Amino acid sequence: MYVILAWRNIWRNPRRTFVILMAVIIGVWSMIFLGALMRGMEREMLKNAISTLTGSIQIHHRDYLDDPVVNNSLDNIGRLDTALDKILGQDSLWAKRVRVNAVVSNARHSGGVTLVGIEPEKEKAVSFIGKAVTQGRYLVKEDKNKILVGRAFLKKFNTKIGNKLIFMSQGTDNEIASKAFRIVGVFRAESEAVEKRFAFVPLPQAAGMLKMGNSISEISILLPELDISGKKEALVAKKLVAALDDITIDDKTITVETWQDLLPMMKAYLEMSGFFLYIWYFVVFVAMGFGIVNTTLMAIFERMREFGLMKALGMRPVQIIIGVITESFFLLVLGISLGTGFGFLSVAAIARNGIDLSALAAGAEMWGIPRKLYPEIWAQDVVVAGLVVLVLGIFVSLYPAVKAARFTPTQAMTKN
Amino acid sequence: MSVELKMAWRNIWRNSRRTLLTIAAIAFASMLLVFMLSFQLGCYETMINTSVKISTGHLQVQAKGYLEDKKMRLVIKDPDQVASVLETIDGIDSYTFRANGFSLVSSDKRTYGVVVTGIDPEREAAVSTIKSLIRKGRYLNADDTYAVLIGEHLSRNLKVDIDDELTILGQGRDGSIAAAVLTVTGIFDSGLDEFDRNIILMGLAGFQEVFSMGKSVHEAIIMADSLRDVAMVKQEIQNHFSTAGDDTKLAVPDWMEIMPGLLQGIQMDLFSGIMMYIILIVVVAFSIFNTFLMAIFERTREFGVMMAIGTTPSRITKLVMFESICMTLVGILLGILGGSLITLYFQKYGISIAGTEDIFKEYGIPDRLYPRLSLISSTAGPLVVFLITFVSSVFPALKIRKLKPVDAMKTV
Amino acid sequence: MKKVVLIIVILFLPFNLQAQTEAETIVKNAFDYWRGQASVSTAVMTIHRHDWERRMTLKAWTRGESDSLFVIIEPAKDKGNGTLKAGKGMWMYNPKVNRVIKLPPSMMSQGWQGSDFSNNDLAKTDSLIRDYVHTLEEIRQDQGKKLYQIKSLPKPDAPVIWGMIKLTIRGDNILLKEEFFDEDFKSVKVMTAWDIQMTGNKLFPMKWKMQKTDAQDEYTQFVYEEIEFKKSLSNRIFTRTNLKNPGL
Repeated sequence: MYVILAWRNIWRNPRRTFVILMAVIIGVWSMIFLGALMRGMEREMLKNAISTLTGSIQIHHRDYLDDPVVNNSLDNIGRLDTALDKILGQDSLWAKRVRVNAVVSNARHSGGVTLVGIEPEKEKAVSFIGKAVTQGRYLVKEDKNKILVGRAFLKKFNTKIGNKLIFMSQGTDNEIASKAFRIVGVFRAESEAVEKRFAFVPLPQAAGMLKMGNSISEISILLPELDISGKKEALVAKKLVAALDDITIDDKTITVETWQDLLPMMKAYLEMSGFFLYIWYFVVFVAMGFGIVNTTLMAIFERMREFGLMKALGMRPVQIIIGVITESFFLLVLGISLGTGFGFLSVAAIARNGIDLSALAAGAEMWGIPRKLYPEIWAQDVVVAGLVVLVLGIFVSLYPAVKAARFTPTQAMTKN
Repeated sequence: MSVELKMAWRNIWRNSRRTLLTIAAIAFASMLLVFMLSFQLGCYETMINTSVKISTGHLQVQAKGYLEDKKMRLVIKDPDQVASVLETIDGIDSYTFRANGFSLVSSDKRTYGVVVTGIDPEREAAVSTIKSLIRKGRYLNADDTYAVLIGEHLSRNLKVDIDDELTILGQGRDGSIAAAVLTVTGIFDSGLDEFDRNIILMGLAGFQEVFSMGKSVHEAIIMADSLRDVAMVKQEIQNHFSTAGDDTKLAVPDWMEIMPGLLQGIQMDLFSGIMMYIILIVVVAFSIFNTFLMAIFERTREFGVMMAIGTTPSRITKLVMFESICMTLVGILLGILGGSLITLYFQKYGISIAGTEDIFKEYGIPDRLYPRLSLISSTAGPLVVFLITFVSSVFPALKIRKLKPVDAMKTV
Repeated sequence: MKKVVLIIVILFLPFNLQAQTEAETIVKNAFDYWRGQASVSTAVMTIHRHDWERRMTLKAWTRGESDSLFVIIEPAKDKGNGTLKAGKGMWMYNPKVNRVIKLPPSMMSQGWQGSDFSNNDLAKTDSLIRDYVHTLEEIRQDQGKKLYQIKSLPKPDAPVIWGMIKLTIRGDNILLKEEFFDEDFKSVKVMTAWDIQMTGNKLFPMKWKMQKTDAQDEYTQFVYEEIEFKKSLSNRIFTRTNLKNPGL
């Protein structure tokens, strides 16, 4: 009975109902929308960090990360390949790399740089470099002595496409290896630091220069899905470790790291981010809450006569309270549904093109946030938002409900 | 004019509960904004101070051109003169001198290229956090000539431990060979890979001898009393040296020029913070809009009566606007007051975030975060609340103009 | 039409090739003259900069195109410091720390002892022969002597930083000038040799200077006090042991 009464009561005064609904809708909408923006931002940040060569998972020689010299290389390439094939399945992509610190010089400048030997076709799918070349062209497998450098690097060395760069590093024979490369393409990255730091050449050329034979420095794997909590990646990494244990000759010469291991700051940031979002939800609700209490109170007072009458007819105070709360419940549920609906709609409207952040390009550069932001709704956020509003909404409705229950018939009749 | 104002004020308090709730909403939002903005800015300040304390300092004095290209030859020829200038400037908390040289460092097993930095142990301890980052062994004493501190990473790569010997080989200021055998006295861990792997620290006096520096240095590292004093200190130092004659040719870069990435990171975070604040304000404004709207509906009869006795719709509108302005102002003032008090309380005692204390301590970040109240943080938020609330009260007020007295009075 | 072009090309080809081979011979001869045999010498090197100058006396042993040992004799502070190039590697020794250290790539582009000769310059002296294609540009006459002007361009894959080198070689195989250009063919530094004297049985420039083109007051000067050419030098000289203890 309460249910029917409550429902009918709501619609008796559409204007009143509408006003309260609006407050809830706006509140919930803002929670969903903000949540989507935040999650979208998180994902883009992570994607960006990963595509700057980190990948979902990486495999190295045990000592490579501490000491990235050519002697700490992966040797059993053939068996690694088969193991990866078996475990990773169709949708994962991986690429091999040779990566060393080198000194690069031309006639007037010299400096330190990280030389990365890549498999051009495979690398395209695994990291940013495939799409980052803005001048000249990308590398192809057959390239002999071609190199890609960053735009900031080009400026620093005062050189241009077609010019030479001489690289020097230490080979596996402990002799100085040097080689000339010609700039064939220039890439842009999210930060100037990345542009200055990496130079890309075809893997065989780098391996040849360093006398590495068939050894490589690292394998970078991109899983089809990016899990912000890092759990999926950790699972796959575990499987890989088990499989690789079988094929290593010495005990544990290979390590497998997920992006969480490689980017601990990012991991910490993402964990905190979710936490703060929910605190914010609470704050938004409180802001909303005042309005809800106020408008509900006003509604109650408007209906003073009605409540007084009900009491006169024998309704107990508790029943009035339940009635009012039920009305609030409906309003909240309705508002939450509509608010969530609008949330979805507004996110969908933006999701197609993303939000363009180029105005803040300078600031965005540091943290690797790309120029476009794609909002993303998490089921978990929707549920939390809805629950917060519903539970707290009912809680704050208690005050007006109690007030309503206290109206005496005399007060009601002498109103006005 | 004042009649409307008086009436507005009295009208508000006719329905005190509703008014109080509305004021509470505005006060809450304002208070929150004041606190959050102060907290955010305070966090930035902490971040900046922590970052600069690791090595760059708030600002530095160097030879012109050293920032772009660290050539051995670009020195501060007379550090004593610089010191005497720095002593006279208020706002400087502490300073120290350093010299740097790129060298090869070899242990028995390996050789690496590193930057050797000569530090003044006593002064350095007051300026940077390096002393607290020593994990093994001990810090440098004033009389240590050939003792060296190395990062944990590097100690592993070189396969050395406390009391092992390292050879450094580099180029002195005059191009001559700089070579020395140093004893590892302490191992530090700053949490920053770049730092741990590439920099080793020895006594300044020893460095000057090995690298043929005479009494010159490369950098004067300065910590100001607070972040806000940096600009002023920088200006004063520059004034001093511009009058001292062109011969000195010194530059005074501040932390923003030395570490541009830090500033950009902060700007980015501020942006996302502002996004959240705006959404909050929209929600609050809407709440208030609701309240005003309902209030107007409720008072239809009252307005009808007023119009019937001759009040023009526009006067009523003005009256209603005054009512909302009054409430808003009271709310904002309360919010600023409350927010400021809470902020000041935490500014004194700090806030610690559960779970982060250990990590922070390890890396020299203070475990308590302090909000910082400033003119901006205490007024920016409330001001926007005021504007948006004002705007959102216009619509309901305009509805009044459409009222017809007779119909209005018939409303119950 | 094609036939005509073909004939013309064939006619001109030998000239070009000839010019090239001739140039190569000239360069090789000059190089051999300069470095071909072994030599033992004492020289004073002066490094001059805008606001200071540094002087040191060193003893040098060279053999063929690739082996060399330089040891500082004066000033006393730097005495015993040496650099050895043998085979592909380069080593440094410092008596104070009593260590021989192999030069890693990061040090190669730095100036040797702070001079305008880079470690690489010293390490790759034979690069001129190996990595470049030489063309004779011009033959001049000066004070009764022939002067060959040669343009050297790096071979396509050669790991050299220069875009071009220009050589001025005298008829009697003495290298007078070597100018280094970047890839845009702008001059970066110039090495000149003069004060040709008879030493033992050979004419040889006793004064050499490496000068930065863009900074007139930045140069390094090499003045031989004495130099003796030999047919060969013992292998023992170009070893790390000898680097530590060259028996001065």
